[in-house]
Amino acid sequence: MNPFFRDTMTIAAKELKQLRRDPLALVLTIMFPILLISNFIVIGSAFRSTTHDIPAVVANLDNSPASAELLDELTTSSLIRVHDVVQTQAQAFREVDAGVAVGAVVIPEGFGIGLAQGHTYVVTQLDFSKATSAQIMYGEVRSAIKLLLQKAQHGELQFQVQEGSVEIITIPNSGRPPNGDIIMPGFLGIIVTLGAFDDTVNAISRERDRGTFPRLILTPISMLSIYNGKMAATIVLTILRTGLMLIILSLNGLVVRGSLILVFLTTILIAMFTLSLGLVISSRIRSSSTLTVLEIAMTFPLFTLAGTGQSPLLLAPQGKAIALALPWSYGNDALRRVIYLGLGLPAIGGDLLILTICSLILVPIALKLSVRTM
Amino acid sequence: MKILTDSIAIAANEFRQFRRNRASVLISLLLIPLFFTVAQGAGRGSAGSSYSPTADIPMVLVDNDHTLASARVWQTLAGSQDFHRLTQTSDEHAAIAGLGLKKYYAVIVIPKGFQGILQSSELNSTQARIILYTDDSEPGFTSQVSGTLTNYVQNFDPRIEVQPIVSELQLLRGRIGGVEIIRRGTSFPGFNIGLTVILAIVQIFAVFYEIAGGLSREREEGTFARLILSPMNIGSMILGKTVFDLILSTIRTFTVLGLGIFLYRGHPNTQIGTILALSLLIALMTMGLAFLVSALKIGLRAVVILEFFLVLMLYAFSGLLIDKELLLGGAAVIANSLPFSYAFDAMRRTILVGRPLLSLTTDLTVMVTSIVGLYIFSYILLFRFRERLAT
Repeated sequence: MNPFFRDTMTIAAKELKQLRRDPLALVLTIMFPILLISNFIVIGSAFRSTTHDIPAVVANLDNSPASAELLDELTTSSLIRVHDVVQTQAQAFREVDAGVAVGAVVIPEGFGIGLAQGHTYVVTQLDFSKATSAQIMYGEVRSAIKLLLQKAQHGELQFQVQEGSVEIITIPNSGRPPNGDIIMPGFLGIIVTLGAFDDTVNAISRERDRGTFPRLILTPISMLSIYNGKMAATIVLTILRTGLMLIILSLNGLVVRGSLILVFLTTILIAMFTLSLGLVISSRIRSSSTLTVLEIAMTFPLFTLAGTGQSPLLLAPQGKAIALALPWSYGNDALRRVIYLGLGLPAIGGDLLILTICSLILVPIALKLSVRTM
Repeated sequence: MKILTDSIAIAANEFRQFRRNRASVLISLLLIPLFFTVAQGAGRGSAGSSYSPTADIPMVLVDNDHTLASARVWQTLAGSQDFHRLTQTSDEHAAIAGLGLKKYYAVIVIPKGFQGILQSSELNSTQARIILYTDDSEPGFTSQVSGTLTNYVQNFDPRIEVQPIVSELQLLRGRIGGVEIIRRGTSFPGFNIGLTVILAIVQIFAVFYEIAGGLSREREEGTFARLILSPMNIGSMILGKTVFDLILSTIRTFTVLGLGIFLYRGHPNTQIGTILALSLLIALMTMGLAFLVSALKIGLRAVVILEFFLVLMLYAFSGLLIDKELLLGGAAVIANSLPFSYAFDAMRRTILVGRPLLSLTTDLTVMVTSIVGLYIFSYILLFRFRERLAT
């Protein structure tokens, strides 16, 4: 066997052996992704849920059959909970100001007559410091009005009204129902990233802390073999982590449409890029705990900028530019396309190539810096 | 008096050690505030500026109707500020097949008979339809583009030569059939909402590591045992470290506010003093928790991992990422039991809504009670386990 590959395999075997002997590190390697994904599932399920309990207050100033019907639609909503029906607009607004309700709906006097004549209005006062809840509530008020109008058109009520002129029918190309599943591939990407950062800390900084790194580089094994060996160990761990994540995600109802091999290939490339970057950083920052804090601090912005929870397409121009410059964005994008849409290699080849090239650029830099700061 | 002089000595010692560690100074006071603020500002844009999320996304319109009405839909969208990269094609199947391949992200199809239905809708209640195919592998994109498109075409009038560009006022006056919805309540720029999150998270992130990590490091280096053997009591140590970290927290608050206000034109709706007070209350709550964790004799690495989970848990359960009101069952119970949820609520209500801090009695009571509780509990545990911690 080529000595380079033999040395690489030796280092990889050593890394895995050390991990097996360190119960805390082993537990963290397995528990870390499980705990993370559990957290993300909670986040995803909040978006996926078809029922919510958003507190609302209604002021019915009309007392007509039409306003009673609208009030009925609002109180039977599965998204908002009308906890109070008050007599005045001011009372309703006060409850929103006090933070007791996320929104107030005011059905004005003359609502029923106005509706029969084809023109009336409803006032909503929303607390936009809780932006998502306020938007959901606004949408629910719209739906309640729409339902009221439909009933009127079907003759269930005593008046005829006209609908808006154009309706939009949205058809997502995945054919999946709109839910929180779409953020899961991005979260898989971020877990792999964090795992690989953790591997960096294990691979280099801890060796430095224990004083074993100088001994390792004094052996006849080349620096490139050492780094490659550590990468090989990370690949094995990434495969384990990805497999574990996919099982948990599948148990939670996420259907992986594309090839599993492509999912594993993408996560491996994300991990290799992250490890390469970690190796560069670890050549300058020696303490393992400082390195861990820095890497975690670096990871949180990735939630916003690398397409984890929101598409980079929707970011502000500066954010979009940063997202384009971050190789993790391409990894997350590839994961979404494979897992969610079931696309193949031709569709994600560019993304994988970018990750590979970035890793290939960073490893020599890490080697050079490590030799210099040895 | 002795407790005060001892505390000052501890705080001075902490500062000396901190100053000597360049990496810590850089990470704690600059990099953490910078990473979080820039990520937020770059992602959501400056508070003073507005941008259309859909403007630069390639989309295609398929006109199967070829009538004046469908041409006017195209004219309306193409001339708007939200569809700069909208192109036309006649091949509907190819356009839809291009979804997911990053060629187009949405296909807007005007079906045959669109104008006919619009004209007949003046006589009966039939609605004309536009079909929107979207690449839903982009999180958040489908709802964004569907909402924007709805704003333009919902009350489309084929008789008007050029459709008016949707104004802010029109957006606030949604209209369904004969019912207008007047939407009241101030909408806040995304960055201002983000600023409340950053201020809280930066403090929690840095403070937990400085306190729990600092104590773990002292234990691992053996200086904790020497500190315990000195005539100082545990209370002085806790107070000294608290004073030290409150000063760092103040600097961090001003760093985030400085970046937010001057770089991203954030506009807090309250006084700086209120923000600082709330920020320090969050820091104190985190310190109490960090002292408590330190009493459990955990290593530095475990501290970092715990810190990560703490921040992540707060993201999930305390209303930072998802409003507390959207959580159900066990998640809602956790959210309502976390004192941090009340702190974040107070942050939003003061910085965004402009409520005076002292009017938020529930939030303040929960915060102060939890700080006192955590400190007392930490003191008892640290005092009880001091020998075990020193060995």
